[in-house]
Amino acid sequence: MSDTESSRVGNPVVLRMDGISKSFPGIRALITVDLEVRAGQVHAIVGENGAGKSTLMRILNGVYQPDEGKIELDGVVVRLTSPIEAKKHGIAMVYQELNLVPDLTVAENICLGATPAIGGFVRRGEQRAEAERVLSQLDAGVNPDDVVGTLSVSQQQIVEIAKAYRSQPRIVVLDEPTSSLSEHEVQAMFRLVRRLRDKGAAVIYISHRLREVLEIADQVTVLRDGRMIESRPIAGITTADMIRLMVGRELTDIFPKREVEIGDPVLKVSGLSRAGAFHDVEFEVRSGEILGMAGLVGAGRTEVARAIFGLDRSDSGTVTLDGQERTIQSPAEAVRTGIAYVPEDRKRDGLVQQMSIRDNITLAILPSLASAGWIRAGEQQRLAVEKATAMTVNPPVVDRNVDTLSGGNQQKVVLAKWLATKPRVLILDEPTRGVDVGAKSDIHHIIGDFVAQGTAVILISSELPEVIAVSDRILVLHEGAISAVLPRGSSEQDVMRAATGEVEQ
Amino acid sequence: MTQTTSSQAESRVMVQNRFSNVLQWIAVPAGTVVLIVAGSLLSPKFLTMSNATNVLINMSISGIIVVGMTFVFITRGMADLSVPATAAIGGILALGLGPALGTLPAALVGILAATAAGCVNGLLIGYARVNPVITTLAVGTIVLGTAQAFVGGVIVYGQDPQIKEFLTSRLFGVVPVIVLVFAAFAVAGHLLLSRTVLGRWSYAVGSNPDAAQASAVPVRRTKAAAFALTGGLAGLSGVLLGLTLQTARPAIGTGYEFNAITAVVVGGVSLLGGSGSVPRAMAGLLFVQVLTNIMVLQGVPTEPQGLAKGLLIAGAVALDVWLRNRGGAK
Repeated sequence: MSDTESSRVGNPVVLRMDGISKSFPGIRALITVDLEVRAGQVHAIVGENGAGKSTLMRILNGVYQPDEGKIELDGVVVRLTSPIEAKKHGIAMVYQELNLVPDLTVAENICLGATPAIGGFVRRGEQRAEAERVLSQLDAGVNPDDVVGTLSVSQQQIVEIAKAYRSQPRIVVLDEPTSSLSEHEVQAMFRLVRRLRDKGAAVIYISHRLREVLEIADQVTVLRDGRMIESRPIAGITTADMIRLMVGRELTDIFPKREVEIGDPVLKVSGLSRAGAFHDVEFEVRSGEILGMAGLVGAGRTEVARAIFGLDRSDSGTVTLDGQERTIQSPAEAVRTGIAYVPEDRKRDGLVQQMSIRDNITLAILPSLASAGWIRAGEQQRLAVEKATAMTVNPPVVDRNVDTLSGGNQQKVVLAKWLATKPRVLILDEPTRGVDVGAKSDIHHIIGDFVAQGTAVILISSELPEVIAVSDRILVLHEGAISAVLPRGSSEQDVMRAATGEVEQ
Repeated sequence: MTQTTSSQAESRVMVQNRFSNVLQWIAVPAGTVVLIVAGSLLSPKFLTMSNATNVLINMSISGIIVVGMTFVFITRGMADLSVPATAAIGGILALGLGPALGTLPAALVGILAATAAGCVNGLLIGYARVNPVITTLAVGTIVLGTAQAFVGGVIVYGQDPQIKEFLTSRLFGVVPVIVLVFAAFAVAGHLLLSRTVLGRWSYAVGSNPDAAQASAVPVRRTKAAAFALTGGLAGLSGVLLGLTLQTARPAIGTGYEFNAITAVVVGGVSLLGGSGSVPRAMAGLLFVQVLTNIMVLQGVPTEPQGLAKGLLIAGAVALDVWLRNRGGAK
């Protein structure tokens, strides 16, 4: 194994990006970044959000033009002026969001864009043969005649990669290919990545999952704040090393846990069910407690949270708050009873992007800031400034539009909005997804403030280190039902076993 | 070092933003000034008191509808196409019931009937989530049909010439009363949109309905309110139109929906919801009215006038979409 690895290190350099700089209004996204990628290697690029990974890849794909620096392919300087140009040069991008047509078959999708045809009529036999050829080269195990919409997410991702691979690219960029996959699907993805590598393609692998990077990559490049911090062979590096390089600090600082005395039960949920989503969900959260909620994508965590908050309906079950049974049919009722929900999708459900920080912070409590419908502007301003400051929103200039803020600061605005409602129960759905490590730590300090004031917190997160670090108990969901309730101090393996349904309780 | 450059870059962005904001604000008023200069060069009649009054009176009837249509646009309700019908029912009831009830009660009944039609729009669009274009077309057709049945297809004549006199009379010898009524509603509409809870909700609902819903905003009620308001205001416009003309027929409101949409769109209120304001819509209205007036004074036939308005609205919508896409591409 080490033989083949070292031989791959000697492979010819297929891509050299040299001194790449790129500025956008307000940020220097990349500062003289160098990148060397060899054929037949998996080259991981890691870094926090905003480190410059996606900007660098967009430059490689011809979406952006660099302000400075040059790109060499096989030693020849090229100018990549558009994604089409990049594709002609053998660069294939597979983005996180799938770009497949769900109603077409696998073969039709793979050939989309360059469908074999005579006079506009598709040559179906040739199309199918072509798809079959690509799929078998990749050993993909997907039937070309299946309709894409009926496939699982992981199979769709494989189709997407096959589509990119059809033109025999020299460089394949995979952007977070495993982010929506479960553990065993990840292994199937890895087989495919190794297959690509062994066919001689240079695979650029972008991922937040550092343990996966250790497993699959030959070389790793770390970006931080638009600079290339280090590029080295994977052998001998640890995830802790990578985190240190990415953020310049240790993991224990990222998820601080505030020790708080746990009080009486605040929220009790029993027999909560909705056909096709979740069934017989039963738990309680106490004041000052953080109840972690873990599970695979699609296990029903978000659905349960949305049902409790009144965003979606449930078929049966009861919600009891401070000993009183409640029927919550809308978010407005949930807010009145003291439940707050920080949604999973910040862009879609969390913020009104075109409105100011002030209007976003006060949106959920606006009627209480008004007399006969007329907003008391001074009071609204004071409250917004107070909450923005408490949440360390930077900059705390509340008349700015929220879309001018970074992801982490936007999330703080969402938290400020719910802080303003003085909730008894705070449900957080992936509160630190897509924010940088500094903001992660800030957000967990804020959550600590909530529990210190006696708020009961439900924390939904796909990041196991996060759930394990801060939860007092961990509720694990599997296929819509609770598969385990784990005490504090449980390991990632314990949680994963329950999440994949390997233990039944 | 990095600190300085990034804050410099930031201030540059803010300057750019401010510049493009100022540009968006100034474009329509500046265009109006250009039109006024051009108009006074083209026709000696243009800059006369009587012509200016004429423009203002024409603007008043459309302007009251524009206030409502602004709410519809901002809540992402697309457009209210039932305006010709709700205006007609207002005018017809005000004149038809005038002799029996007295002018003011009859006017009130007209406005209430139009508001009721607006509420039906609101219920169907806000609560049942039917497409606004289809809903308002259907409701408009039903209301208009009812109005036609009510008057039996003939013209209703008014019997209260004093009210006509009053509405067109000039307060302090300068401003016609009807213009003051319009100004009062424009100011009230502006305050409603910019200073009240309903106003903030309207922006939130139009800008991001999912986030508004998840932030305990009554999305359905807010959307419905925009249509109820437009119904009522269109009814009021119809009443004023009927009272000033002292005649009303079912086709009295024809074209007002298109005028209002043109004004709102030219004023830069986004068809995609969430941005715009009453003053901007008013600026758009003034531009369109002055342009129309110049064409009338120049003796331009009706068909090319329609062509010009159509081009204006298509251009403004294309510009809006283009600006949004450019903004979102970062």
